[in-house]
Amino acid sequence: MENFSNETIDTTELPKFEAVQFSVLSASYWKVIVINILMLFLVLGTGFSLLLFYNEEVKFFSVEISLLFVVLLLLTFIFSRISFKKKGFAFREHDVLFRSGMMATNTIIIPYNRIQHVALHEGFVSRYFGLAKIEIFTAGGSSSDLEVPGIAIEQAEKIKQLLMGKIQKQL
Amino acid sequence: MEQQFNHPQRQSPIGVLVMFFETLQQWARGLWPVLVVYAFKFNELNKVYLFLGISVFLLIIVFVAYLKYLNFTFFLESENEEFVINEGILNKTKTIIQLNKIQQVDINQSLIQRLIGVYELNVDTAGSAKKEGKIKAISHPLALALKTRLLENDRKNQDTVMAEGFLQEEIIDPKPFIKISFLSLLKVGITSNYVKTLGLILAFLATIYENGKKFLPEDGFNKEEIGNYIDQSAVISSIVLVFFLTLSLILIINLVRVVFKYFDYQLTKQNGSLLLSFGLLSTKSTIVKPEKVQIVTLSRNYFQKKMNILEIKIKQATSSDKENNKSIIEIPGCDEKEKEAIFKLLFHSIPEKGFVLKPNYRKLVFSIVLFMLLPVIVFFTLANFIDATLFDYAFALPLYLLFVGLIVSFGYKNNRLYISDDFIIKQSGAWDIDNEIIEPGKIQAITTSQLFWHKKADIGSLIIHTAGGDVVFQLGNFTSIKQYVNLWLYRIETANNNWM
Repeated sequence: MENFSNETIDTTELPKFEAVQFSVLSASYWKVIVINILMLFLVLGTGFSLLLFYNEEVKFFSVEISLLFVVLLLLTFIFSRISFKKKGFAFREHDVLFRSGMMATNTIIIPYNRIQHVALHEGFVSRYFGLAKIEIFTAGGSSSDLEVPGIAIEQAEKIKQLLMGKIQKQL
Repeated sequence: MEQQFNHPQRQSPIGVLVMFFETLQQWARGLWPVLVVYAFKFNELNKVYLFLGISVFLLIIVFVAYLKYLNFTFFLESENEEFVINEGILNKTKTIIQLNKIQQVDINQSLIQRLIGVYELNVDTAGSAKKEGKIKAISHPLALALKTRLLENDRKNQDTVMAEGFLQEEIIDPKPFIKISFLSLLKVGITSNYVKTLGLILAFLATIYENGKKFLPEDGFNKEEIGNYIDQSAVISSIVLVFFLTLSLILIINLVRVVFKYFDYQLTKQNGSLLLSFGLLSTKSTIVKPEKVQIVTLSRNYFQKKMNILEIKIKQATSSDKENNKSIIEIPGCDEKEKEAIFKLLFHSIPEKGFVLKPNYRKLVFSIVLFMLLPVIVFFTLANFIDATLFDYAFALPLYLLFVGLIVSFGYKNNRLYISDDFIIKQSGAWDIDNEIIEPGKIQAITTSQLFWHKKADIGSLIIHTAGGDVVFQLGNFTSIKQYVNLWLYRIETANNNWM
């Protein structure tokens, strides 16, 4: 009790989460996104072409459907690009921040002493580029779990070790 | 009285009866639409076959109940310190609960169990919100002995203070410090859940209608005849009649439901925890540990304010999202004094409101566009281009706009976020006004969100994640929100509060 003090906190002097410099995702993660989109649209495109080939009635609209397909593909690329550019993460002394969103800017902040466990996930395409995804789980359910994709595997391992160390210290 | 639990044992033999009634209840619940239909056609049926059918049905249930009884065994495995339950006739289930994971052991009694003279024993672990282990028929001495054995391990692991607490639990039976009176229950019954009950009635009617349609003769009603009966004044009076019938039906169902569910609601203090017990036919009891409480919601509408009652809902920490709804604990019909007593136990202080954050006027505009402007546009487009007969219903439009307009504006007026040192309170709702109370120490994570066109106006949203669910406040002053987020983070990160 002798060390106890209860000073008034000057809220303007507190470290500001909004002033944090975010690290961007690895540039090769964009390639992963592009490959994933292309694979998705390859499947969609095959379906459409089969439909156009065999169905006489739809054949009449073939130009419109192809146009729609291209526009959809372009929009997906644009939105993915914006959302890729926006994504960023930061590890502070006491918490982890992740920024995401397209039209909105969402920032989620998880203090280390609320993390339940950490996982490392390597996707099929990501692994080829040497990238991994860090998954951070809290007791707050799926809405407050955090996934940081597109981090080089060695760095991801280091981050995981850092987080594990921080969690261990809390216990 | 040393009971041996080391070998697999069955429940009390008389427990077959419990199994029987339970299986009967399950099957009857599954088959009730068929039963209703047969009840209507009772006179047309061949009585001999009917009674033969019923007896065969009951015999099957007796057989199933007996098999269930035979296949249900439980025992304590002392080597691994586990409690094991085996059950199931065709699909065998083996539930293994480690003794040191057991949080709570309840002994309950439903009406049927009370008549037969057996008890139910529930084992709850921290793993999930539902009860993991359930023994449905067990004699009282055996239940007590088993409870002691199950909690023995726990006691060993706890520090001495807690151990004393556990011992006390079985010795003293403190008097309830709050009892919800019958009058309060009546007040709750007539002032809450109108919409929910209306939904239930409609669903009930729909089921009956669907099942009845198959059996009622097609030419029962002559459509032309009905057409002749309808004239203007009759329509209005029948609408009024239906309205009042529905209203009284809702009130009666509400009253009966509330009284059955919450009869003799008692709150007892037990080692700093809150012990709740309630129910007319089957008494339920739950323990609320203050440290597990995440969000406390105060709910009250205009009538309830006038009658000085309010409802408290308590959300505890759960591990899965799906179980969230089940773990909500409701305390209906408290008055101000009882509320304060409960808060003192849960929070050790009375939450105060402090700094006020109001939503930007854009929130109101957005609601108006979404719930009023958009439906009107859709209505006129449909009426103009697709079905002109829709214009006949245009008279309902002003009514709709008035109703929704009231809800939207009251909802906006009541939407507030109050922030004080020890509490965050979010107020919302148009008719039932909810106050969700969180302690900053229970925060798991925080999300802030801002649309790019809101940057200039300096408004944004805040989502507070806790282990009992999220609390969202939209379109508030973003500078203040950010400032408070920094403060809460500082508090969480410097202190190592126990959030569960």
